[in-house]
Amino acid sequence: MSEAVAEIVLFQVGVHVFAAPVRDVLRIGAVRDSAPEELVLETALGRPFTRERGMVVASAESERTLVVDQVIGFRTVPEEDVRPLPAFARACIPTGVLAGMLLLDDLPTPVIDLQRLVRERGEGPSPAP
Amino acid sequence: MRGERAGFGSGMEVGLRGPEDWFFCLKLLGGRYAFEAALVSEVVRLGPLTRLPAAPPFLTGVFTHRGEVLPVLDVGQLVGQGAIPVKASTRAAIVHSGPWKVALLSEAVEGLIALPRRSLEPPPAESAGVAEFLSGVAQDKKGAVAILDLPRLVEAARARAVPAGSAEA
Repeated sequence: MSEAVAEIVLFQVGVHVFAAPVRDVLRIGAVRDSAPEELVLETALGRPFTRERGMVVASAESERTLVVDQVIGFRTVPEEDVRPLPAFARACIPTGVLAGMLLLDDLPTPVIDLQRLVRERGEGPSPAP
Repeated sequence: MRGERAGFGSGMEVGLRGPEDWFFCLKLLGGRYAFEAALVSEVVRLGPLTRLPAAPPFLTGVFTHRGEVLPVLDVGQLVGQGAIPVKASTRAAIVHSGPWKVALLSEAVEGLIALPRRSLEPPPAESAGVAEFLSGVAQDKKGAVAILDLPRLVEAARARAVPAGSAEA
């Protein structure tokens, strides 16, 4: 019997590592390939040290490129390793960009809703679902 | 992450009604603080914490304990008296408060203490800092101990993090 799995991409902004569903990323490339108005530089994840790599995310009106310091790689993980955010944390964080926590070698890694992240940028956080 | 039962295996029955009440005591902000013992399930030694984006300062991060992701609450940050340092030896008490399960950072864990009910006195009138969350003060052989109203403290943390109406609880 096969277990349910999730495809995730691991990336780094500043010193912090995050995860996101691969399906939310249209492509990964150099920031110079994106128009300046599409770049999303500073978000709830922090501000990247560099402006070289970007993850292109579809948003309602256009594509947006989330600037990151490093795309660490892709992983296929058991879905059971993606845990919900603890209730108290969910109640204390005024944004819905945190979709859960991925257990990587027992270390919790924030799973980011990339579409919501690029949408919230500039709008301010919106209520968590 | 190593867990320890919070002193409950020593033959002491928490919750028995007698002339004493049982409290769980830890060191915070240089003082002794205690709260209702029944709220504590376990004491753990903290490993690496993961910081959460957009989290308020008192929500220091999360860690995994027996496969469960737990949030860490720093009372020092909550009351504006500075962060409790997280070191390899830092311990946290896992507490259940209403719908919330959190790990409460401590400078050191003392464990269960019994306080005679008649020794409990009202808290000081001041309402700044952690005094805002005290339900009483007492003395035992080790000295003064302040009694925390932990459910009120945890609920106040949640309310301060997210102003009313801006998110669902």
